[in-house]
Amino acid sequence: MAVVADKSKRYDRGIRVWGAHGQEALEAARVCLLNAGPTGTETLKNLVLGGIHSFTVVDGAKVTPADLGNNFLLTADGLAASRAQVATECLKELNESVAGSYVEESPRSLMNSNPDFFRHFTLVIATQLSEAGAVTIDKICRQHGVRLLLLRSYGLLGYVRPSVPEQRIVESKPDSKVDDLRLSNPWPELEAYAASIDLAGAEDVLHSHIPYAVLLIKAAQQWRQEHDGQLPGSCAERTAFKDLLKSWQRHIDGIPLEEENFTEAVANAHKVWAPPTVSSELRAILEDSCAAHITQQSPSFWVLVAALKRFIEQEGQGQLPLEGSIPDMHASTQQYLELQRIYRAKADADAAAVEAHARNILEAAGRDPASLPTSEVKHFCKHARYLRLVRCRSLAEETEPASCRADSLRAALSSEETAANAALYVLLRAADRFHATYQRYPGSFDSEVEEDAALLKSQANALLAECGISGAGGSAAGGVSDDLVGEVCRCAAGELHVVAAVVGAIAAQEAIKLLTGQFVPVGGALVYNAMACTTSVFAF
Amino acid sequence: MGGVEPLATAWPYGATSSELKKRVEEARVLAVGAGGIGCELLKTLALSGFKHIEVIDMDTIETSNLNRQFLFRKRHVGHSKALVAAEAVRAMRPGIEVKAYQGNVKERQYDVDFFRRFDCVLNGLDNLEARRHVNRLCLAAGVPLVESGTAGYLGQVSVHIKGRTECFECQPKPAPKTFPVCTLRNTPDKPIHCVVWAKEMLFPLLFGAPEASDLNDGAAAEKEGEDSSAAGTADDPSFYKRQDGESSRQYAERVFRQQYGAKIEELRGMEDLWRNRPAPQPLDLDSLLQQAQGQANGSSASGGSSTASGGSACKALGLADAHAVWTVPQNAALFLQAAQQFLDDRPDEIGAAQFDKDDTLAVEFVTAAANLRAACYGIPMQSLFDTKGMAGNIIHAIATTNAIVSGLIVLEALKLLAGAPEACQTSFLHQQVSGSKRLVSRMAAPEPSPACMVCGTASVQLALNTNTWTLQQLVDKVLKGRLALIAPSITCGNFTYEEGEGLEEDEVEFYRGLLSRPLSQLPGGGLAHGSMLEVGDQEQHFKAQLIISHREDWDEEQHPEGFELSGSLPAAQAAPPAAAAPAAEAVAAGEPAAGVRGGSSAAAAPAAPAGKVALQETDDGIVLLSSDEEGDATEAAVPAAAAGKGKRKAPEATEAEDGEAKKARVEAAADDVVDLLDDD
Repeated sequence: MAVVADKSKRYDRGIRVWGAHGQEALEAARVCLLNAGPTGTETLKNLVLGGIHSFTVVDGAKVTPADLGNNFLLTADGLAASRAQVATECLKELNESVAGSYVEESPRSLMNSNPDFFRHFTLVIATQLSEAGAVTIDKICRQHGVRLLLLRSYGLLGYVRPSVPEQRIVESKPDSKVDDLRLSNPWPELEAYAASIDLAGAEDVLHSHIPYAVLLIKAAQQWRQEHDGQLPGSCAERTAFKDLLKSWQRHIDGIPLEEENFTEAVANAHKVWAPPTVSSELRAILEDSCAAHITQQSPSFWVLVAALKRFIEQEGQGQLPLEGSIPDMHASTQQYLELQRIYRAKADADAAAVEAHARNILEAAGRDPASLPTSEVKHFCKHARYLRLVRCRSLAEETEPASCRADSLRAALSSEETAANAALYVLLRAADRFHATYQRYPGSFDSEVEEDAALLKSQANALLAECGISGAGGSAAGGVSDDLVGEVCRCAAGELHVVAAVVGAIAAQEAIKLLTGQFVPVGGALVYNAMACTTSVFAF
Repeated sequence: MGGVEPLATAWPYGATSSELKKRVEEARVLAVGAGGIGCELLKTLALSGFKHIEVIDMDTIETSNLNRQFLFRKRHVGHSKALVAAEAVRAMRPGIEVKAYQGNVKERQYDVDFFRRFDCVLNGLDNLEARRHVNRLCLAAGVPLVESGTAGYLGQVSVHIKGRTECFECQPKPAPKTFPVCTLRNTPDKPIHCVVWAKEMLFPLLFGAPEASDLNDGAAAEKEGEDSSAAGTADDPSFYKRQDGESSRQYAERVFRQQYGAKIEELRGMEDLWRNRPAPQPLDLDSLLQQAQGQANGSSASGGSSTASGGSACKALGLADAHAVWTVPQNAALFLQAAQQFLDDRPDEIGAAQFDKDDTLAVEFVTAAANLRAACYGIPMQSLFDTKGMAGNIIHAIATTNAIVSGLIVLEALKLLAGAPEACQTSFLHQQVSGSKRLVSRMAAPEPSPACMVCGTASVQLALNTNTWTLQQLVDKVLKGRLALIAPSITCGNFTYEEGEGLEEDEVEFYRGLLSRPLSQLPGGGLAHGSMLEVGDQEQHFKAQLIISHREDWDEEQHPEGFELSGSLPAAQAAPPAAAAPAAEAVAAGEPAAGVRGGSSAAAAPAAPAGKVALQETDDGIVLLSSDEEGDATEAAVPAAAAGKGKRKAPEATEAEDGEAKKARVEAAADDVVDLLDDD
């Protein structure tokens, strides 16, 4: 009991963002970190504070004086000790309910010697791996169904790349939501309720407390009768519609009474002619082949999408299940509660219909129709309008010339908004090639910055040429400007704390999105440009 | 500091140069706040090579800080944040100089000379008042300020350099949210009304200083000048004194019967109030207790003794799920249990207790008290978790956002030290990347606003009733409450008023004697319509001109405090009303009608579109988080506390805020311009 109370206190703020169920998901997560440099330990610090189940640090290095300068977990006492061990001990101190362990071995050798090691984790966070290493761990993680986050801090450049074959998001928590009120096409119960309210006969107090939803349903109905079943379309018609509403207001000596519900009705009139639509993202999910072929293995998300599709085609008559909640509106308590009940009842009925479809679909696939809890169906229906799907390409697909999205890269390099960050993306990859060739990163020695810049640039151009991008297609100077090449060389490959802190925090945030299944994670490579203080996301 | 030489290798190329490294090592920086942002900031500063860091924070460490304030451990709970954080950073980097002050940055010792010693000041503060104070001192000392704030996944960093970029107060700040007293006392219609009533009125009446409660304040009703019926609902504080020989249980039951029985019956008698709304229903304690007994027997949970419960009444009653909405009988049992425990276990605090969101028992009591009131009025009841969020004005603070924001703060500090103020910018951290949105977006730091009364020279209109307002109210509500002055002075013709240190005793006495006088009766002919007041604060090096405008009719819904501040912008600066009408994407922290921002309040309010603005209350301000033409606010960014939970429309002044908010930063490229605070 004491532990529970302490936990709910400790995690109070997080729970207010991702809910108790999000916290549960976090508390079940087993995370593996590759390399305990500042980027890695910053990321893990944030997740340990948030309350993951456990972590394992994989690092073969010893603590050196250079580590002390940029990694807050490593102190002088730990000099020459295993970096994995010291980092693990310090991380465990941050939150006693999180278990930590370490493997003193270089990630590279562990990947080669024991790829099965990674299968037990929920999430692998691989930091400071070169491109070749990133491709390897990506393959391993995909094979075992483990989520992966790839991170780099390179001078003043940061890189965050989730790699999940498919992230299915029910609670996408969009920045803005549109009320689903069905004002222009009420279902019979709602229509009957609106009709039961006698506008003309209502006494003044009641009249000023009729919820605006009812006023708009009535107005839409009358408008349609007078306009061949059409809703207001032009600007003039919309003004006329609002005038119709205003004409129903009570007057004293020709002066309209102040009736807040009417003010609200006018302000919300657009909900009549601009009801929420089915977004292109949702449309694509409904049409996805995963929903068309439900198998023994299909995740419940796809079973529900298939059921949702049937609902839209049948009972819904093109509409999604009703979400069921209504916004605040000026009304008497009784009327508001009644309206709320009507919307909720319809939402329950819609969810029940979706559930029936889902059970049929499960049965047809030879699965137990009772395996899907009603609560999950309801939850799904409530959020159906904002379902999202994120599929990250594999690192191999992204980096191999045959499969990389050269057109997207070319476009990003030539768009003013993204040119610099796309060039940094190319330069990061070019720097890895540089390293593979010369066994050091460009700019490692001050005396060689100029020469290295030229070499780095030719690596970058070679990379672009492989993808079929030449100087003609990119920005004026061959896709990557000399200035940026110079910056990347000058700042060298150092893992600056001020960059690592930001990368580690962005990464932890993305990790929490992946683990809780809430919010939409980035679907490609996020480039953080600390020089200009900008970010871009690329799905090449 | 404005005169920092650019680096030989200019920013950003010189970002890793030895020249900048040296400047960083020599720089002296002040971190204000050692909370969520502060911990991250101190760590990042230390690991970025800063060697002379000073940190100030008045708070002590709480358990709920531990999810993000990673310099603190469980064993530190109760200790000074500043001292523990400094110690942790010193351990991180031996040889670093970290000086810690456990104190309030508004204290007199942190004066202009104190600020002048720094190359830049970095804010990670949790309240608007302190941020305004630091802004003024930085302006006075000519030291650049990097400001920051976070809420959930949202964050913001801005740079304020005197004469070069806008100061923190150039953008108007939202006024604190208040509710009409008669709504709270007589006619609540939202959960928040019940929560505020329980926390601000009932709690102090029982456990705190009764004079802090508006419930007993007969004068409160009088000063509102509303229908006389309101006066009848005020409480006699003597009723709430424990009688000789009365047990804590008897006392709690007596209060219950009074508040949820007799008082509700009394209110029902005021028929005028219930013409437009359903009258509240009293609760019968005896039958509730019977039901509670039945429920307790039905479940395995049984009541426990208060001593075994470790300070939690819920624990004593077996109410384990903080996310559940408990039944009315359960709330009744909790009310009695919590009150009883408070009286029995914490006798020393009675008469002086203050509500604290980290005080388990206080939150439990307020939850039960608010829910019982909600039950009387047919308002939906809330879980303990949600009630705590509302009562504590809790900002959703999470580690990751704080860490990103701190990294951005240090980057701005590096630019300042690199002599590249032109590279400084305002950065916005978004919740998620969607559409063309970037996770971090930026905007060049705006120029100072000539209409700013803090860094500019604009004067401000103050409308109030000079016959009913006393000098005390002017000083407390406007000068201290709204303009964030600490030791205000006023001059108007022959009339002067001063506060603060350095006054003779007879002067203090004289000025105190003036406080109770109505403004129109002050010496020197009194203040009247058109009076020009010089107001100032010597400590803050703040001076401004207030022009009084006398107004007698006040709509309590719109201006519950009975005054309005508005600026007077030069005509050319005023935004044409048309600019406010289109659906602006940008949202900023907008001052409602009571804003100090110029002309805009008049220009924007009538033309404002009718979208909704989601409000988040903070310790002493509202934060606007998002606005959407179509209506609903973001689910994640907006706490249950402020948006969407209430049954009815958001409280007063939203429309006005809306217009102002939408207009204020139409020019900003960012999609969500937010004004955020750090959480504790």
